[in-house]
Amino acid sequence: MEDKGSILKRTYFLYMMLGVFAVAILFKVFQIVFVQGEQWREKAENLTIQYRTIDAVRGNIYALDGSLLATSVPIYEVRFDPNAEAISDEIFNQNLDTLSQCLSKLFKDKSKLAYKQELTHARNKGERYHLIRRNVKYTDLKKMREFPLFNRGRYKGGFLYVQQNKRQKPFRVLAARTIGYDRDGSAVGLEGAYDADLRGVSGKRLMKKIAGGVWMPVSSENEVEPEDGSDLVTTIDVNIQDVAESALLKQVQKHGAANGCVVLMEVATGEIRAIANLQRGEDGRYYESYNYAIGASTEPGSTFKLASYMAAMEDGFIDLDYKIETGNGKYEFYGTRMFDSKEGGYGTITVKEAFAVSSNIAVAKIIDKFYKSDPQKFIDRLYSMRLNEPLGVEIAGEGKPFIKSANDPSWSGISLPWISHGYEVSMTPLQILTLYNAVANDGKMVKPMFVKGVQKHGKTVQEFEPVVLKDRIASKETISKVKEMLEEVVKNGTATNLRDANFHIAGKTGTAQIAKGKLGYDKVAYQASFCGYFPAEDPKYTCIVVVNAPSKNVYYGNVVAGPIFKEIADKVYSTSIDFHEELKEQKDGEELRTPVSKSGFAPDLAEVFQDIDVKYIQKNQAEWVLTQTSPDSVDMLPATIRENLVPNVRGMAVEDAVYLLENMGLKVRIDGKGVVKYQSIQPGERVIKGGTIKLQLT
Amino acid sequence: MQRSKRHIFEDADWVLILLFLLLAIMGWINIYAASYNEEHQSIFDFSMNYGKQMIWIVASLVLASVIMLTDVRIYEQFGYVIYGITSFLLLLVLVAGTEIKGARSWFTIGGVLSLQPSEFAKFGTALAVSKYLSSLNVKITDLQSRLTTILLLAIPGVLITLQPDPGSTLVYVSFVFVMYREGMSGNVLLLGLITAVLFIVTLILKQTSVGIPFTDFEMNGKFMLVLTILIITGVAWFVMKSYNKKIWSTLLIGAIVSIGFVMSVDYVFDNVFKDRHRNRINELLGIISDPTGTGYNQHQSKIAIGSGGFSGKGFLQGTQTKFDFVPEQSTDFIFCTVGEEWGFIGSFLVIFLFVFLLVRIIFIAERQRSKFSRIYGYSVASILFFHFTINVAMTIGLAPVIGIPLPFFSYGGSSLWGFTILLFIFIKLDSERKYVLH
Repeated sequence: MEDKGSILKRTYFLYMMLGVFAVAILFKVFQIVFVQGEQWREKAENLTIQYRTIDAVRGNIYALDGSLLATSVPIYEVRFDPNAEAISDEIFNQNLDTLSQCLSKLFKDKSKLAYKQELTHARNKGERYHLIRRNVKYTDLKKMREFPLFNRGRYKGGFLYVQQNKRQKPFRVLAARTIGYDRDGSAVGLEGAYDADLRGVSGKRLMKKIAGGVWMPVSSENEVEPEDGSDLVTTIDVNIQDVAESALLKQVQKHGAANGCVVLMEVATGEIRAIANLQRGEDGRYYESYNYAIGASTEPGSTFKLASYMAAMEDGFIDLDYKIETGNGKYEFYGTRMFDSKEGGYGTITVKEAFAVSSNIAVAKIIDKFYKSDPQKFIDRLYSMRLNEPLGVEIAGEGKPFIKSANDPSWSGISLPWISHGYEVSMTPLQILTLYNAVANDGKMVKPMFVKGVQKHGKTVQEFEPVVLKDRIASKETISKVKEMLEEVVKNGTATNLRDANFHIAGKTGTAQIAKGKLGYDKVAYQASFCGYFPAEDPKYTCIVVVNAPSKNVYYGNVVAGPIFKEIADKVYSTSIDFHEELKEQKDGEELRTPVSKSGFAPDLAEVFQDIDVKYIQKNQAEWVLTQTSPDSVDMLPATIRENLVPNVRGMAVEDAVYLLENMGLKVRIDGKGVVKYQSIQPGERVIKGGTIKLQLT
Repeated sequence: MQRSKRHIFEDADWVLILLFLLLAIMGWINIYAASYNEEHQSIFDFSMNYGKQMIWIVASLVLASVIMLTDVRIYEQFGYVIYGITSFLLLLVLVAGTEIKGARSWFTIGGVLSLQPSEFAKFGTALAVSKYLSSLNVKITDLQSRLTTILLLAIPGVLITLQPDPGSTLVYVSFVFVMYREGMSGNVLLLGLITAVLFIVTLILKQTSVGIPFTDFEMNGKFMLVLTILIITGVAWFVMKSYNKKIWSTLLIGAIVSIGFVMSVDYVFDNVFKDRHRNRINELLGIISDPTGTGYNQHQSKIAIGSGGFSGKGFLQGTQTKFDFVPEQSTDFIFCTVGEEWGFIGSFLVIFLFVFLLVRIIFIAERQRSKFSRIYGYSVASILFFHFTINVAMTIGLAPVIGIPLPFFSYGGSSLWGFTILLFIFIKLDSERKYVLH
């Protein structure tokens, strides 16, 4: 039938073909394994097994009372493998409808139909790692585990999730900027400053790469266990912080301010109890987006006068009664005009009065007069108060203070007078606050402190002590003098709206004009501020409020910043046990609390005090006195009653006030009952005989 | 011609049966390794591939026994009928099949069992071709006989292409070896070889361009090929004209067809092929390199085999072949699990077993007295040869990824059953060889 030889040849040929292919395959396998083996093995190592970093749980940040300010909560990224081998078309189609329904119901972001299309599309495209949703909370994850198909688990249902830790601030905006954040490696605020403590030590885990770039652990335990981060206990008091934040918000909203900040600090330790920063966003709402208190170094304005007067007092040039002629409220220094805020000027006034009414001319003239010949002496005085150095707070981005030296090329004739009232220098709110705190702390300057200690699993591992920046910024005498001046501001000066029957506040208003870049001071924006401490007699807390570019018509420090200060002070006063020790003593019946007295006619007051057995101290033999209640006595300070000048009758009983004013030839109109709260003609103005003065009583 | 059971198993070729069992069990071990995970360790976990494959293997043993116990004559007598049924199933699947990942290749029965008729069409076609070619009046040297054979192959081929499953279609090309053995001119194989070489060279050269000497023009590399063909033709004519005066016409036709082929390859490649086909071929030829995209499978597969080294990482120790790291790990790419966990030794053993199996089948085919049995034997050898070489070659980057399983080894009920039936019909035919009068 067939040629035997030919058939045999054909069979051999086919055997040969088989041999050729088999050898080719073997050769190629040999090549892969032995010739290129090293290369493939290396790739295998890199591709599939790696030590992966396991992030440690970041430490918490606590408030003083243990409330959580920042913590890490687990969130999940949920993915789905629609092409898992165990998901047949039938299983997929059976569950698709209910699954889509469940997803739509849980997240409410897409319709059931949209989910259905999305999942079907993912399956058809052959996806193995389809993203369902990021940032899924644990409670939602638990629900998702019960969904049809997902309840079949990782291999059978294609349900995959990766845990991540998300930083959360339970109090949301509260001190948000100061607490800070750690995002993409850039950390700000306390999160940044204490990153090393909070971060902990990363662990290592041998992970295997599987389809879709997912890493899954090789064994059930970590090769190197991560070490949890330490917790931070801050000095922040959430309750005060809350009041500070809302008081600030109320005022910035009311005045449409661009931004504002408030910081409350404990006098003795420098511990920051509250720090709030609000900035107006483009939508008109306010956000904690920049730490003005720490970062914004600006011309402080009138609050800086404190430093100027302290310098002059230290050099022995002036004391409280030193008189200075401020004229009609306008004065020219080397051709540049300076104004006082009062129309017509303050005339000749004492240092104490000048500070109280915040006369620019007074401080400028004094500083110019005594330091003109050696301006560097003044500057050195400021330097000796450590005003030119940053505080060195741990939070990054502290604004640098700037006080130029007299040999600075930009130094001019007007530098001295302008520096004296807070221009041509720049300081941050926190630095001004630290100065005032030093005064309140009897000259000892302490560094603002944000963190009390570091804890680990509830045990304190590190405690921070207050840091003294300067033991004494000025002599005892100077400190007590400026304290008196600061009290006068509230008593009879620019901040009388901060007077309080329960406790006394001492401080200084500031109303600075802000130079806006090249536009200079012509295009004016204002910065209203108030910095002070309370209680004036035994300072516990210092506080600064700065509100920037408030509306044009109301920009005075006392009106804009004052109420914020008052609200915080009230809150602190009402909640601090320190302030109420006397009340306790009274209950024990040991000692009576000194009553709060009205100001008025000295002999009458003295008689009453003798009657009810209250200690009183009368320093001068003045007819008219202003009273001030101290813990164990009523101090009667002389009220300045001068001819032809309207006296300060605020705080007086109505009978006394009427008597005084009518004696000066004024007609008095009264509204209300009790103590005088407001007088229509300001103290110190000239009396126009027959004029009418209105008194508003409480 | 009824015989006792004892007889049947005595006459069966136990070498083939052992090889079959060995391959199926080794396949199962590697499927277990490839889909192993700690949550489902039990080999009887029927939610996992290896649990199911266990069932398929047991079922295939039942199928094999049934085949051994059936009357051998039905395969020859009902060859066309079986072919008709399997072809009809191919037609039916286009209408009633379930679409999975873009191809209508599967019947799903009750949501549990999936059947792929193209796996069964192979033995149907093998029976039909054997029956036709063993008919008394058929001579492979006749054009009409050849055309009829090609038609028998083309019907399932076209139907499978329509699914589409081009990989399975290509299997039918392997019947060229059957036809060669039965007397078809060796020139056909030569022609096939030339065609393949031209195809590859065209694709490589079309990516290049060559400057024409003494001009500023550049021409596409494929014109270099055209030029080369013309020169070879000229030289061939010069050398051979003294032996055969009329050779010029053959050479001319050859040159024209070759050039036409080159140009049409270019056109078909650019306009008819889909992107994924183009990419796979380009990847293979080294024209593009995209280890994360088209070349991902082969790249991963090579990493797996390469990292296995000489003796492998050991059973269940593979890192590359787990958790779907290499897609289609337990089906088309099962060979790289062998390479990773059992190393070069394992790969060598598998290749050796397959070569041994094929040599044994050809050897047995040659000892058949019945022409039908011999041709069927060659069909089995050709189909298994094609599957084996192409599957392994695509795993190691020698052939484009066309997605055909490794016989007896790969996961999948349909393919295992298809191959089992294919092989055991031959074993049955062989066991009856002494009783066949031809």
